[in-house]
Amino acid sequence: MRRRLGSLVRGVAPFVVLVAAWAALTRSGLVAEIFLPPPEAVARTGWEMARDGSLWTNIVASLGRVLVGLVVSVPLAIGFGVLVGLSRRLATVLEPVASFFNALSGIAWLPLAMTWFGLGWGSVTFIMLNTVFFLVFFNTLVGVRTVPRVFEHALRTLGGSRRHLIVQVLIPGAMPSIVAGIRMSIGFGWRALIAAEMIATSTGLGFLIFNAQNFHQTDTILAGIITIGVLWLATDRLLLQPLERWTVERWGLVSS
Amino acid sequence: MSALRHRTGRFLVVVALLWVAWEVYLAVSAARRLDAALAAELDRGGVVNVAVTLGFAPEDFHIRVFQTHGIVSGVRGTTVLLNRVPASDVRRIARYYWVERIQRS
Amino acid sequence: MTARETVLTWILLLAGFFGAWSLAAATLPVPSYVLPPPSAVLSASRDLIVKGILPTYVAESVRRMVTAALVAFAIGVPVGVALGMSRRLAEFAFPILNFFQSVSGIAWLPLMLVWFGFGERTILVAVNYTVVFPVALSALLGVRSVPRIYVNGLRTLGASRWRIARDVILPGALPNIATGMRLGLAYGWRALIAAEMLVGAHGLGFMIFSAQNFHLTARIMLGMVVIGALWLVLDYFVLRPLEQATIERWGLIQR
Repeated sequence: MRRRLGSLVRGVAPFVVLVAAWAALTRSGLVAEIFLPPPEAVARTGWEMARDGSLWTNIVASLGRVLVGLVVSVPLAIGFGVLVGLSRRLATVLEPVASFFNALSGIAWLPLAMTWFGLGWGSVTFIMLNTVFFLVFFNTLVGVRTVPRVFEHALRTLGGSRRHLIVQVLIPGAMPSIVAGIRMSIGFGWRALIAAEMIATSTGLGFLIFNAQNFHQTDTILAGIITIGVLWLATDRLLLQPLERWTVERWGLVSS
Repeated sequence: MSALRHRTGRFLVVVALLWVAWEVYLAVSAARRLDAALAAELDRGGVVNVAVTLGFAPEDFHIRVFQTHGIVSGVRGTTVLLNRVPASDVRRIARYYWVERIQRS
Repeated sequence: MTARETVLTWILLLAGFFGAWSLAAATLPVPSYVLPPPSAVLSASRDLIVKGILPTYVAESVRRMVTAALVAFAIGVPVGVALGMSRRLAEFAFPILNFFQSVSGIAWLPLMLVWFGFGERTILVAVNYTVVFPVALSALLGVRSVPRIYVNGLRTLGASRWRIARDVILPGALPNIATGMRLGLAYGWRALIAAEMLVGAHGLGFMIFSAQNFHLTARIMLGMVVIGALWLVLDYFVLRPLEQATIERWGLIQR
């Protein structure tokens, strides 16, 4: 218990210092208020937005898109990745192709998405779906291919079917790579999402801060930025890292 | 490891060589694009009004590029009329490989 | 799998892909700008090169990326290493660096637009920011990961702090730094494209974004291919070899 508290303090203390430095900077008068509002102003604006609901609507909009992207793309990508990984010929050829689409992932798809889906949540969600799909597909493919053949042979010798092969050897073996891919895809996808929301839609955290820029509302911008950072850190800390750790613990032996 | 370093090294060398070759080509071909009469006038310095002929109808991109060099006063087909262009800018325009000819306007 | 099989599969795949694409472009009941055929993309590429648009935009984007990256490396590596040298400082700085890394450069763009307006500087600062934090963070981690045993060993032999930093810590941290550079550039390249779309000061991002305005979909597709290809070239010829080389040479020191 005490150790938990200690590590919590150690995690929070740097930010306390940071905010104090921020407050000192704004108070010193070196920077005009319009460029860097003091922490109190940002906190107040944040509180206002939380109260009137605008903060939550935007958070939900952004997170919702992340969720849709994950829920739809991850199973699809794993499915395709395993299917392609089963065929050595296909896998060898498609790996560089998947790598190319990886390189392309994210915001570069936006103009095309806007051509197809117009402005609005369609284009933006497409970006998220897209980014997650290609990254997880590639990682699944690589993960499946690096499962040592010896396991496949062992299973075959014991009379296992193809389904057994997939479910009991390939997927668990590829899991560390898959989870790493999921974690990476959320990292890239989240960034692409914020950028897309700035350009192509009128809800979401990206839109919130870009719109505020129009009116020079720097306190709103900063409140939005802090929200984005906190959300990502929370997701990473509370969801992704434990997931990765659990996967490695469970199946880490099977890989490489 | 030396094999990998090899790849990076070779790549950078090729890129550098290509870049140098390209710059040389631009410098050499620039002279071709300038009208003789115009070239003489440039040596005197000051500003000139020019007509820049392209091989195609100019797009937004080209107009914007020209606006950094002078005042675009009109477009006739594939020719852009540019006013009050400093001599140094005319030479810079001559270096664009997509420009066909520059004349006094 | 033989080389011949690989080539054959490639040919089949490419033929299938382009064939299906051309077919879809010809038969789908949608306006022509929604799905231009491969031939349109090809002629768009010729068009954009002849008109000088593509090379100019490519050069601009590459120039911005290289400039921002070099500055970010020059700042991030020393800062990260310096922070990593002290356990206290490292523990203090890590959460902060992590937080700033997770708020991508693009999220700061609106603020930078207020500070610097719609110009080149905004783009450079945003991309710079995006690259700096992964680099600094990984430099910090790299320094922390050098086993104390090597540091202490050298110290018992009487080496100065500087000597230790140069001969043990820096090489030991290099694999991490190389990885950090690679990640930073991956984020940075994408941030650059996004920034060019938003700020509109030319470049590849601007090209595909403004092409969308005029429904020049073939140009969009071409731009996307170029964006992906440029990253692949950078990654294959520079970043991955660098990362591999540092791991091979100094990877023993960590783990």
